[in-house]
Amino acid sequence: MTRNIKIKVARVQLDMTQKDLALAVGVSRQTINAIEQGEYNPTIKLCRAICKVLGKSLDELFWEEENEDER
Amino acid sequence: MKGKNRLDEMQEQKLLKIEHVGVWIAFWGLFAAIVIQMITGGAGALLQIAGEITVFMLLAFYLLVACIKNGIWDRKLVPSLKTHLLISLAGGLATGVINFAASYHNYGKLYGSVAAGIFTMGFTFVLTLLALSFAASLYRRRASALEDSENENDRDKN
Repeated sequence: MTRNIKIKVARVQLDMTQKDLALAVGVSRQTINAIEQGEYNPTIKLCRAICKVLGKSLDELFWEEENEDER
Repeated sequence: MKGKNRLDEMQEQKLLKIEHVGVWIAFWGLFAAIVIQMITGGAGALLQIAGEITVFMLLAFYLLVACIKNGIWDRKLVPSLKTHLLISLAGGLATGVINFAASYHNYGKLYGSVAAGIFTMGFTFVLTLLALSFAASLYRRRASALEDSENENDRDKN
Protein backbone atom coordinates (compact mmCIF):
# COMPACT_ATOMS: atom_id res chain seq x y z
CA MET A 1 0.00 0.00 0.00
CA THR A 2 1.17 3.52 -0.76
CA ARG A 3 1.34 6.33 1.75
CA ASN A 4 -1.69 8.59 1.92
CA ILE A 5 -0.15 12.04 1.70
CA LYS A 6 -3.51 13.62 0.86
CA ILE A 7 -4.89 13.02 4.34
CA LYS A 8 -1.78 14.45 5.94
CA VAL A 9 -1.93 17.56 3.73
CA ALA A 10 -5.65 18.10 4.41
CA ARG A 11 -5.07 17.60 8.12
CA VAL A 12 -2.16 20.05 8.27
CA GLN A 13 -4.17 22.61 6.29
CA LEU A 14 -6.73 22.53 9.10
CA ASP A 15 -3.91 22.73 11.65
CA MET A 16 -4.86 19.36 13.10
CA THR A 17 -2.53 16.83 14.64
CA GLN A 18 -3.00 13.10 14.16
CA LYS A 19 -4.36 13.04 17.72
CA ASP A 20 -6.94 15.77 16.89
CA LEU A 21 -8.14 13.88 13.83
CA ALA A 22 -8.20 10.61 15.76
CA LEU A 23 -10.36 12.17 18.48
CA ALA A 24 -12.67 13.74 15.91
CA VAL A 25 -13.36 10.46 14.13
CA GLY A 26 -13.27 8.26 17.25
CA VAL A 27 -10.21 6.11 16.63
CA SER A 28 -6.72 5.90 18.11
CA ARG A 29 -3.80 8.03 16.91
CA GLN A 30 -1.97 4.89 15.83
CA THR A 31 -4.83 4.09 13.45
CA ILE A 32 -4.61 7.54 11.79
CA ASN A 33 -0.84 7.13 11.59
CA ALA A 34 -1.23 3.67 10.01
CA ILE A 35 -3.68 5.07 7.42
CA GLU A 36 -1.31 7.92 6.53
CA GLN A 37 1.61 5.50 6.28
CA GLY A 38 -0.44 3.22 4.04
CA GLU A 39 -0.21 0.38 6.55
CA TYR A 40 -3.93 0.08 7.21
CA ASN A 41 -6.85 0.07 4.79
CA PRO A 42 -9.76 1.76 6.61
CA THR A 43 -13.39 0.76 6.24
CA ILE A 44 -15.67 2.94 4.15
CA LYS A 45 -17.32 4.10 7.38
CA LEU A 46 -14.04 5.47 8.73
CA CYS A 47 -13.10 6.93 5.31
CA ARG A 48 -16.36 8.87 5.32
CA ALA A 49 -15.81 10.09 8.88
CA ILE A 50 -12.32 11.32 7.97
CA CYS A 51 -13.65 13.05 4.84
CA LYS A 52 -16.38 14.76 6.88
CA VAL A 53 -13.92 16.09 9.47
CA LEU A 54 -11.38 17.24 6.87
CA GLY A 55 -14.06 18.72 4.57
CA LYS A 56 -12.97 16.69 1.57
CA SER A 57 -14.64 14.13 -0.68
CA LEU A 58 -13.79 10.43 -0.78
CA ASP A 59 -12.21 10.92 -4.20
CA GLU A 60 -10.03 13.75 -2.98
CA LEU A 61 -8.61 11.75 -0.07
CA PHE A 62 -8.75 8.12 -1.08
CA TRP A 63 -8.78 7.88 -4.86
CA GLU A 64 -5.49 6.56 -6.14
CA GLU A 65 -4.31 7.27 -9.65
CA GLU A 66 -2.84 4.21 -11.37
CA ASN A 67 0.69 5.64 -11.44
CA GLU A 68 0.48 6.26 -7.65
CA ASP A 69 0.55 2.50 -7.08
CA GLU A 70 3.85 2.19 -8.92
CA ARG A 71 5.62 4.69 -6.64
CA MET B 1 -22.21 -6.69 32.11
CA LYS B 2 -21.81 -5.80 28.46
CA GLY B 3 -19.17 -3.06 28.33
CA LYS B 4 -18.46 -0.65 25.53
CA ASN B 5 -15.87 -1.79 22.99
CA ARG B 6 -12.81 0.35 23.64
CA LEU B 7 -11.02 -0.71 20.47
CA ASP B 8 -11.21 1.07 17.14
CA GLU B 9 -11.54 -0.83 13.87
CA MET B 10 -7.81 -1.32 13.27
CA GLN B 11 -7.20 -2.50 16.84
CA GLU B 12 -10.24 -4.79 16.51
CA GLN B 13 -8.76 -6.33 13.35
CA LYS B 14 -5.39 -6.76 15.05
CA LEU B 15 -7.05 -8.41 18.06
CA LEU B 16 -8.94 -10.75 15.73
CA LYS B 17 -5.63 -11.73 14.09
CA ILE B 18 -4.05 -12.31 17.52
CA GLU B 19 -7.03 -14.44 18.58
CA HIS B 20 -6.87 -16.30 15.26
CA VAL B 21 -3.24 -17.24 15.87
CA GLY B 22 -4.09 -18.11 19.50
CA VAL B 23 -6.85 -20.48 18.44
CA TRP B 24 -4.56 -22.34 16.04
CA ILE B 25 -1.82 -22.56 18.66
CA ALA B 26 -4.40 -24.04 21.08
CA PHE B 27 -5.74 -26.38 18.37
CA TRP B 28 -2.38 -27.82 17.29
CA GLY B 29 -1.01 -27.67 20.84
CA LEU B 30 -3.91 -29.80 22.07
CA PHE B 31 -3.48 -32.12 19.11
CA ALA B 32 0.22 -32.56 19.88
CA ALA B 33 -0.51 -33.11 23.59
CA ILE B 34 -3.11 -35.77 22.76
CA VAL B 35 -0.79 -37.58 20.33
CA ILE B 36 2.18 -37.52 22.73
CA GLN B 37 0.09 -38.73 25.66
CA MET B 38 -1.51 -41.46 23.56
CA ILE B 39 1.92 -42.77 22.59
CA THR B 40 3.56 -42.46 26.00
CA GLY B 41 0.62 -42.68 28.37
CA GLY B 42 0.23 -46.44 28.55
CA ALA B 43 -2.96 -48.49 28.38
CA GLY B 44 -5.12 -46.05 30.36
CA ALA B 45 -4.03 -43.01 28.33
CA LEU B 46 -7.46 -42.37 26.81
CA LEU B 47 -9.02 -41.79 30.22
CA GLN B 48 -6.21 -39.47 31.24
CA ILE B 49 -6.59 -37.30 28.15
CA ALA B 50 -10.40 -37.28 28.08
CA GLY B 51 -10.40 -33.58 29.01
CA GLU B 52 -8.00 -32.59 26.22
CA ILE B 53 -9.97 -34.65 23.69
CA THR B 54 -13.25 -33.03 24.79
CA VAL B 55 -11.85 -29.50 24.41
CA PHE B 56 -10.21 -30.40 21.09
CA MET B 57 -13.43 -31.89 19.71
CA LEU B 58 -15.49 -28.93 20.93
CA LEU B 59 -13.08 -26.54 19.20
CA ALA B 60 -13.11 -28.60 15.99
CA PHE B 61 -16.90 -28.91 16.07
CA TYR B 62 -17.35 -25.17 16.63
CA LEU B 63 -15.03 -24.34 13.70
CA LEU B 64 -16.86 -26.80 11.45
CA VAL B 65 -20.37 -25.61 12.33
CA ALA B 66 -19.43 -21.91 12.16
CA CYS B 67 -17.75 -22.33 8.76
CA ILE B 68 -20.62 -24.32 7.25
CA LYS B 69 -23.18 -21.87 8.64
CA ASN B 70 -21.36 -19.05 6.87
CA GLY B 71 -20.88 -21.00 3.63
CA ILE B 72 -17.11 -21.24 4.04
CA TRP B 73 -15.11 -24.37 3.20
CA ASP B 74 -11.42 -23.49 3.04
CA ARG B 75 -9.13 -20.71 1.81
CA LYS B 76 -7.46 -22.86 -0.82
CA LEU B 77 -9.05 -26.30 -1.02
CA VAL B 78 -12.27 -27.02 -2.88
CA PRO B 79 -14.58 -29.81 -1.72
CA SER B 80 -14.04 -32.57 -4.29
CA LEU B 81 -13.67 -36.33 -4.11
CA LYS B 82 -9.97 -36.03 -4.95
CA THR B 83 -9.20 -33.68 -2.03
CA HIS B 84 -11.42 -35.75 0.29
CA LEU B 85 -9.51 -38.89 -0.66
CA LEU B 86 -6.14 -37.19 -0.16
CA ILE B 87 -7.10 -35.70 3.23
CA SER B 88 -8.65 -38.98 4.38
CA LEU B 89 -5.53 -40.85 3.32
CA ALA B 90 -3.28 -38.40 5.18
CA GLY B 91 -5.51 -38.61 8.28
CA GLY B 92 -5.64 -42.41 8.06
CA LEU B 93 -1.88 -42.69 7.67
CA ALA B 94 -1.21 -40.33 10.58
CA THR B 95 -3.67 -42.15 12.84
CA GLY B 96 -2.27 -45.53 11.78
CA VAL B 97 1.30 -44.46 12.57
CA ILE B 98 0.28 -42.92 15.93
CA ASN B 99 -1.71 -46.00 16.89
CA PHE B 100 1.11 -48.31 15.82
CA ALA B 101 3.58 -46.29 17.92
CA ALA B 102 1.23 -46.21 20.93
CA SER B 103 0.49 -49.92 20.69
CA TYR B 104 4.15 -50.89 20.26
CA HIS B 105 5.17 -48.59 23.13
CA ASN B 106 2.50 -50.01 25.43
CA TYR B 107 2.61 -53.71 24.57
CA GLY B 108 5.87 -54.23 22.67
CA LYS B 109 4.33 -56.67 20.16
CA LEU B 110 5.38 -55.83 16.59
CA TYR B 111 2.81 -57.83 14.57
CA GLY B 112 -0.05 -56.86 16.86
CA SER B 113 0.99 -53.22 16.65
CA VAL B 114 1.22 -53.34 12.85
CA ALA B 115 -2.26 -54.90 12.71
CA ALA B 116 -3.60 -52.23 15.08
CA GLY B 117 -1.97 -49.52 12.93
CA ILE B 118 -3.40 -50.92 9.67
CA PHE B 119 -6.85 -51.39 11.19
CA THR B 120 -7.04 -47.83 12.57
CA MET B 121 -5.60 -46.46 9.32
CA GLY B 122 -8.35 -48.10 7.26
CA PHE B 123 -11.04 -47.27 9.77
CA THR B 124 -9.98 -43.61 10.03
CA PHE B 125 -9.67 -43.35 6.24
CA VAL B 126 -13.27 -44.52 5.72
CA LEU B 127 -14.64 -42.50 8.62
CA THR B 128 -12.84 -39.31 7.51
CA LEU B 129 -14.02 -39.78 3.93
CA LEU B 130 -17.62 -40.17 5.10
CA ALA B 131 -17.36 -37.20 7.47
CA LEU B 132 -15.80 -34.99 4.79
CA SER B 133 -18.40 -35.99 2.19
CA PHE B 134 -21.20 -35.30 4.65
CA ALA B 135 -19.74 -31.93 5.69
CA ALA B 136 -19.16 -31.00 2.04
CA SER B 137 -22.78 -31.77 1.15
CA LEU B 138 -23.95 -29.59 4.08
CA TYR B 139 -21.55 -26.85 2.95
CA ARG B 140 -22.81 -26.97 -0.66
CA ARG B 141 -26.41 -26.75 0.48
CA ARG B 142 -25.67 -23.85 2.80
CA ALA B 143 -23.50 -21.96 0.26
CA SER B 144 -26.18 -22.33 -2.39
CA ALA B 145 -28.89 -21.14 0.05
CA LEU B 146 -26.79 -18.09 0.95
CA GLU B 147 -26.14 -17.32 -2.72
CA ASP B 148 -29.84 -17.59 -3.54
CA SER B 149 -30.88 -15.40 -0.61
CA GLU B 150 -28.34 -12.74 -1.64
CA ASN B 151 -29.67 -12.82 -5.21
CA GLU B 152 -33.21 -12.44 -3.88
CA ASN B 153 -32.14 -9.38 -1.85
CA ASP B 154 -30.59 -7.84 -4.97
CA ARG B 155 -33.83 -8.43 -6.87
CA ASP B 156 -35.82 -6.81 -4.07
CA LYS B 157 -33.71 -3.70 -4.24
CA ASN B 158 -33.99 -3.37 -8.06
